[in-house]
Amino acid sequence: MKHLTDEEMIEQAYGEVESTAAVERHLAACPQCADAFAELKHDLAEVDRIQAPYRDASYGLQVWAAIAGSLPAYRPKHRSLWGSFWASPWTKGLSFAALTALLVSCAFYAGRLSEQRKMHPPIAHVEPRPQQPKQPIVVVVLDDHLDRSERFLVELKHADLDSTDMASPMRDEARSLLAANRICQQKADKAADPELTTALDHLDRLLADAANAPGGLNPQSISKLQNEMNADGVLFEVRVLRSRITRNSSANNPQKGGTI
Amino acid sequence: MVSNFRMDKNDHAAIQAVLAGDKEAYGTLVVRHSQTLFRVAFRITGNEADAEDAVQEAFLRGYRKLEGFESRSNFGTWIYRIAVHCALDKVRRRHIAETLRVSDCNDPEQDQVQVADDDAGPERLLLSGEISALQTAALQSLTATERTAFVLRHMEDRSTAEIGAALGIDPNAAKQAVFRAVQKMRRRLAPLRVAT
Repeated sequence: MKHLTDEEMIEQAYGEVESTAAVERHLAACPQCADAFAELKHDLAEVDRIQAPYRDASYGLQVWAAIAGSLPAYRPKHRSLWGSFWASPWTKGLSFAALTALLVSCAFYAGRLSEQRKMHPPIAHVEPRPQQPKQPIVVVVLDDHLDRSERFLVELKHADLDSTDMASPMRDEARSLLAANRICQQKADKAADPELTTALDHLDRLLADAANAPGGLNPQSISKLQNEMNADGVLFEVRVLRSRITRNSSANNPQKGGTI
Repeated sequence: MVSNFRMDKNDHAAIQAVLAGDKEAYGTLVVRHSQTLFRVAFRITGNEADAEDAVQEAFLRGYRKLEGFESRSNFGTWIYRIAVHCALDKVRRRHIAETLRVSDCNDPEQDQVQVADDDAGPERLLLSGEISALQTAALQSLTATERTAFVLRHMEDRSTAEIGAALGIDPNAAKQAVFRAVQKMRRRLAPLRVAT
């Protein structure tokens, strides 16, 4: 059995032990500790309470009389009107309530903002793309058309009148070019470019004759087309237009390299 | 309890009056608490003169610190602690003075540290019927802190927490001080037990 320590007994004697019941049970079961505890209680009881000499009610007055002379009076604190306003418990309470309301409002507003952001994520600021000029597209399409037209005209110019092998492909190409030329004509009308319009008109007549030659392309019709081409100077006009378009395209887009 | 509450309210009213410039209001506090302070101061110092000095000093200190007194506290408890400190200071100063006095009387040829001899022969004390003198001697053998802790625990019925607060030490340290005091007192009073 573990005996009580001196400290535990002293605590018990002064009623400060945490588990009095447990100590009492041990004292009841352990004669050795019970004897030691009884001895301690006896010793403490022997130490009399020191009785202080009696001091009657006048003692307090004597003490006051002895010290009053050396006590400076406190200076009353004069609060300003503003200071009194803030010192008031009502004002403090209202200030606290206002501060709390402000904090709640801020939290609510912040919450709403956060929610809105989640629902509608902000559109990322995108640098506006430099608007691609539409003209280059038209130019490229036109250039392509003129390139095909030039090759057709060169082929027509040097066509072997004795051979009929190329007659059918040339007619097909003329029909294809004729359709493309009509589109380019419409664009040219809107662009108000008389030089281009004139060249395309000449090309249109020539292509139409080639595509719709009665009985197909034959030496007579080809010869007739060659004369017509030379008369109008269509090939020359096409080449001038191509060189102009190429020059303009290089000037507008020095970083040329892409294709459409 | 009701009277304590009323007294507490009266104490606070008096404090407010003092801080507002009415010095005389402090007189009511002095009259109200002087006897309690004298009792504990006497038990700690062991003599009337020191106890009276400690009481006056406690009220002077209390007056100077009154602005820092928290209105939620109990003035009686607050000034009681100050009085304990003042009495403790008295005991410490007296102990130092007595030690120096013994040292002054030191034999130059005897190079030993001497302290005041509070031990009186138990037989002589018993024979002269001065049992209380033996107890007083036992109390005086304690250090100032042990003595104060023992007085507050054994005679003033203060809890360990209150003793710690009054002495400005940890409650556990206060408990240890009480233990040491009790053990020393029992050793000192052992001859008395055998004789009886």
